[in-house]
Amino acid sequence: MTVVDLDPARLKPLAQHYDVATAHGNAASGRDLLRAGIADAELVISCTSRDEANLVAGTFARSVAPQAKTIVRTSSADYVEIWREGRLDVDFVVSSELETARGVSDAIGMPAARHTDSFAEGRVQVVELDVPPGRHTDLVAGKLRSARLPGESRVAGVIRDGRPILVRGDTEIEPGDRIVVVGSPRAAREWCALVAPRRGEVHDVVVWGAQELGAAIARALVEQQLRVKVIEGDPERAARLAESLPDARVFNTDGLDRGFLKREGIARIQAAIFAMRDDARNLFAAAVARLEGVGFTIALAHNPLSARVYEDNGIDAVVDPLLLTAEEIVRFAHDPRTQQMAMLEGDRFMVLDLTTRADSDLVGVPIREMPSRGALIGAILRNGEAIFPHGTDTLRPGDRVIVFTETARALEVERAL
Amino acid sequence: MSVPPDFSRRPRLGIDVSGALNLVGSLVKYLGISAVVPAGFAIAHYEPVWPFLAAGALVTVFGLALERLTHGAEEVGVREGYLVISVAWLVIAAYGALPYILADDPQLGRPVDALFEGMSGFTTTGASVATDVSALPVSILVWRQLTIWLGGIGVVTIALAVLPRLRVGGRQLLESELAGPGVETGLSCRIRDTAYRFGTLYVAMTVVAFLALALPGWLGAEQVMNTFQAFAHSLSTMGTGGFSTEPQSIGAFGGLTQWTVIAIMAVPASNFMLLYKALVQHRPREAARDEELRAYVLILLLAAAIVTVMLWDRAPQEGEAAVRGAAFEVTSVVTTTGYFTVDYEQWPLVALMTLALLFFVGGCAGSTSGSIKVARHLLVAKLLGRQVVGTAHPELLYPVRINGVVIDQQTLLAVISFVLIYLAVFVLGTAVLAIESSVRGPDFGPLGLIFASASTLANAGVGLGAAGTAGSFAAFGDPSTLAMTGLMWLGRLEIVPVVVLLRRSYWRV
Repeated sequence: MTVVDLDPARLKPLAQHYDVATAHGNAASGRDLLRAGIADAELVISCTSRDEANLVAGTFARSVAPQAKTIVRTSSADYVEIWREGRLDVDFVVSSELETARGVSDAIGMPAARHTDSFAEGRVQVVELDVPPGRHTDLVAGKLRSARLPGESRVAGVIRDGRPILVRGDTEIEPGDRIVVVGSPRAAREWCALVAPRRGEVHDVVVWGAQELGAAIARALVEQQLRVKVIEGDPERAARLAESLPDARVFNTDGLDRGFLKREGIARIQAAIFAMRDDARNLFAAAVARLEGVGFTIALAHNPLSARVYEDNGIDAVVDPLLLTAEEIVRFAHDPRTQQMAMLEGDRFMVLDLTTRADSDLVGVPIREMPSRGALIGAILRNGEAIFPHGTDTLRPGDRVIVFTETARALEVERAL
Repeated sequence: MSVPPDFSRRPRLGIDVSGALNLVGSLVKYLGISAVVPAGFAIAHYEPVWPFLAAGALVTVFGLALERLTHGAEEVGVREGYLVISVAWLVIAAYGALPYILADDPQLGRPVDALFEGMSGFTTTGASVATDVSALPVSILVWRQLTIWLGGIGVVTIALAVLPRLRVGGRQLLESELAGPGVETGLSCRIRDTAYRFGTLYVAMTVVAFLALALPGWLGAEQVMNTFQAFAHSLSTMGTGGFSTEPQSIGAFGGLTQWTVIAIMAVPASNFMLLYKALVQHRPREAARDEELRAYVLILLLAAAIVTVMLWDRAPQEGEAAVRGAAFEVTSVVTTTGYFTVDYEQWPLVALMTLALLFFVGGCAGSTSGSIKVARHLLVAKLLGRQVVGTAHPELLYPVRINGVVIDQQTLLAVISFVLIYLAVFVLGTAVLAIESSVRGPDFGPLGLIFASASTLANAGVGLGAAGTAGSFAAFGDPSTLAMTGLMWLGRLEIVPVVVLLRRSYWRV
């Protein structure tokens, strides 16, 4: 693997920490790319911060290395549209704006969830939930096997004090645990209700920040028929969004003024999204909104540190645009059998969507008797139907399985299946 | 060795007057051909032919002379455009007046009256100083109707091709639609293109209107128009001018014809761009989504309903006749046509005041109608809405849109200014009429003066009292007649181009 970057200072630590070769050069320069060995590449991922450079690299790769798969990252959704219309000759286009907007609307769809991902065309949902401290009858009442839990779902993983716990029938869930549930969308919603029973559906939201990401989020939420308010301090940017998005109410203010917050009833809004470029400002605005009484806050994290800082300061959900984009790119770059994947807890855990080979050792073995290697089958997709398996179920060749695993063991899991 | 620049010949004028007049000349020279039509009728009815031929020849010679004596500019610019349309409409009105003067018509022959009648025709107003239309020669009748029809296509052309370019009263709204993206064509080229494109449509619609009016007569129905009347009224209806060949206007015909005329009047007062879209490009759904068109139809229906209620038990008519009377008069005023079917002077005061208000509505932008126009009302209403919302939500951004397109501040300001200037001119015009009326008489009453001033400015041509259904605008004295001629001229050009000419900065380098 070769990483090309303009900045040698960025490449050095990469080469030290990971098993990659680096090349100092411009991704938009054909000579630099050839020097980096693009002609022999099997996979070309262009994910610089500049859309144009990515497109140049992508199309250049197509001409000098026709065998290679090409993935292009862009910020705006426009290129995705052009690509879908077949007018962009690359294999895959990922838009960070679209991925972020999707991440935010997932988080809003299930406000109790820390993280959600949908698999198999939306038939299977993977939800990461925090069990609130304090006794909780249905959930924290004993062994999983005997607990009355939503059907069509499985607890795929429990993370206690930052360490994963192998889930078995006799595992107990404790307050303060973080659990990963794989289930049907309905069951996922039931789980959310179970964990945080007061939270219902979100109808109106406020988005702080109308830069590219904020605007994309506002647009996605408007399309979902939510009532959207947007707060943007820059008059020109605010005006631009107000003109292009008639169904959102755009306010030109930094939103940190009590008079404004009272006047517009921000306290009564169900969810607030902080989509400014500066994480510190996101954190401060979120703190203000929480003080005002906003019940549910989601913030974008641009700095890898921010996710933990946000969590520590009571922000309910964190959306990491880079991570989501990386997920989408890695998903496409992975084993061709892997239909989709998701990363949880940073990149410590993975949820994979795999197809079983006929010669896999695991075919025909009841799930209960499978060797426990820190991986768990959350769902099986057979003949277009999602099955949430019990201990006695067996795998058949050609089944699609949704597997929860530690990232370090992902390759092992892929091989075993 | 370089020649030192010569600063002694300082240019005095900032605009190319010569080029502007050249364009006027090249436009009006074609007008002479139109005299052939009344000349033909004159021959058929053994009436004097020469006034029409002479008038036609005169205007053609004038146009050619103007063209010859001035230097055609490569491209006449926007700044000259104000001068072009202001002068052109004066010349055209004078041409309209010529046959009346030359024929020395007992009703229209005096120059002041003839100019009024000519201006009224070419601005598609339809206010007349003829006291007894039935006494006018057929050729003169045809000429009156024809001036309206010709005025109509001229009005559509300046409304769609020239005024948007001159940014008159927020007209730039229309600009983007007509010209392709970023295509900057010259004024003369633009005028020809637009006149040709919409002229064909205009002729076709006139033919349809003629058939709709004439067909019942051919089929032998009672109280309907004969072929000549259908011809005459299809011309004036299409131009939304209210000249009629009958002293009782459309009241001379039965219910069927009246309803037909209501329907026809509503068409040319809607946006020709939309008509083009619906009828030529076969995209009627798209046209029907237009916000202005919807508001226009709503206003027509609502106003007709309100006036019907006002008339229900107080007017001489009842039942269908009351609805028809109300619908007709409302349509006639809103589309600024100016026909009448009933003696509205017998209506209760509140109904008359409603009509007076409706003079300020007008049809759609880009139509042959006059007045403020529905698009501007729509924008003003939205702007007021924004102001109201803004008091409760000072930080909220609230872009004003029409058909989903955001209207910029500059345009909004232009629209507001236009409405204010329009009202100011109306007040001034009324004042002039009031002074003359109080000094010399006769007494038109406050509402009569308002009607006269508002309806000439709106190019509607509906009078009240001595100038009403039974009388004519001849009741006014010469100063008032001239003032109203000016109001028609101003109203037709949407005031701003003329006002611009009054500024010294316009003429200076």
